[in-house]
Amino acid sequence: MMNNREVLIFSGATVADAVRAYSRRSAKLLENGKFRVFDQYGNQTEADGELTEGQKLFLKKREHEDA
Amino acid sequence: MRSLVWIAGLIVLLSFQGHSQGKTAGKPTEVIILHVNDMHAKIDNLPKLAYLADSLRKTHLYVFLVSAGDNFTGNPVVDMVADKGYPMIDLMNRCGFTVSAFGNHEFDLGQENLNKRFQQAKFPFICCNFDATGTVLKQPKPYLVLKAGNKIHIAVLGIIELNDKGIPDTHPSKVTGIRFYNGITKAKEYSWLKKKYGILIGLTHLGVETDVKLADSMPEFDEIIGGHSHTLIEKPMMENGVMIVQDGSNLNYIGKTTLRIEDGRVTARSDEVIPITALHKADSALVELCGKYNRNEEFSKVAGIAETSFKGYDALGSLMTDALTHQLKVDFAFQNRGGIRVFSLPQGPITIKDIYQLDPFGNLVVIFRMKAEEIKSLISYAYNLEKGIDLQVSGMIYSVTSDGQGHCLGVDLFDDSAKSLDPSREYTVAMNSYIAASYRFNHADPGTTGSVTTAEILINYLKEVKKVNYTGVKRAMQIVKP
Repeated sequence: MMNNREVLIFSGATVADAVRAYSRRSAKLLENGKFRVFDQYGNQTEADGELTEGQKLFLKKREHEDA
Repeated sequence: MRSLVWIAGLIVLLSFQGHSQGKTAGKPTEVIILHVNDMHAKIDNLPKLAYLADSLRKTHLYVFLVSAGDNFTGNPVVDMVADKGYPMIDLMNRCGFTVSAFGNHEFDLGQENLNKRFQQAKFPFICCNFDATGTVLKQPKPYLVLKAGNKIHIAVLGIIELNDKGIPDTHPSKVTGIRFYNGITKAKEYSWLKKKYGILIGLTHLGVETDVKLADSMPEFDEIIGGHSHTLIEKPMMENGVMIVQDGSNLNYIGKTTLRIEDGRVTARSDEVIPITALHKADSALVELCGKYNRNEEFSKVAGIAETSFKGYDALGSLMTDALTHQLKVDFAFQNRGGIRVFSLPQGPITIKDIYQLDPFGNLVVIFRMKAEEIKSLISYAYNLEKGIDLQVSGMIYSVTSDGQGHCLGVDLFDDSAKSLDPSREYTVAMNSYIAASYRFNHADPGTTGSVTTAEILINYLKEVKKVNYTGVKRAMQIVKP
């Protein structure tokens, strides 16, 4: 799940792949460093992280202070 | 008489506690566990880790250094040398690693290579949920018992993730013959470790969400040191009384757990994440050794020249597939987006290292004889999987008509002269072994696997054509039906 929307993705996919499947625009913003990905517990997950079935991820805009 | 009863009672009480509880005569003992996960062969920060570990060893009696798996895959100077993976093992030995879990990418080396690396490693790899009996791979131990002095024993249990096909995420051919079992179910069979040794740590490669489920199922764990999801847990998570930690990936962070142990039990625990950028000192001998591995002259050789910069899947995928059609003399070739591991290449020289970063998996090429309808089924499957264009192509142009919800309604195939493909003809089609193994599509021909990797084919292609330019190339399109 990406932002509470189901994303179907191939086995062996990464977080970045899931973001691409969710939205091309979001993927671009992730690549540009304007978005970050968090898990359901609020931990940051790196873009090359590997996925598990049923994983819940959330995209958030990078906070100003990190820019 | 009363004192005899009291002594007898004390003996009974001690025998119930068993030998394993590790009594420390009242004084608490501090144990440090440095932990990393998903290093993915990024060797450059290992000298800093070594320095940190050595510094702690000078001031603390009990310091362990552990990896939660995926030590390999992600850096050609480790993955693509003749002794695949050896530089990582060499450096991990010199850092003084105590133990490593199995990650899915450990299997990328292949079973024979893994055995060689195990022999060279001065630390064990552990995993409780697979059985390699009857295969090339030497069966690892499920757990390791760490000793802090004579009385403190810490059991460390290794667990690996399985995907929806019931194997770790690696090429299926790498795990041929190995039987895998659900990690949580299998881990429960080892809950006796807690009773016997008093302290139990999970060294897992499951991903944080499964680590949480594991903690819910097994409160016996004092700590779960996880990997796989590349999660940066800045403050340790507490779930069902179990502390869960993980440190991002690529050795950008090091975790440091401190356990306070009294009477063989953990009475206090804490964890901190140390960004590698916060460390300014490095082991000089390892810096030199990393430099030696990085200076591998083979990787800095130029294979070809990019006349303009490459950006995006269309350009990079077209280059990769053109290499296949050109070198293998096949009609068409496909490349999945997930297998394109860099997003851009700058204008100028393309080195061997660039190519291994673009295509790091060591996939072999597979050639099928396919009819147009079978090719359509491949493209359709890939589109539905990604809910968008997945496959980059050479030798043809294709368009997918979709319903706007990511479902493929139809595929049209055109050759280089924009003519529809002949439905009665068989075409030769090349793809990497990941697509061939993982994608479900119709093909009467089971396919033939070549002996060279797709990366090697690309290197040979660039050496032959010398200059490449893919500005504006787009061969796969989608039409959304209103």
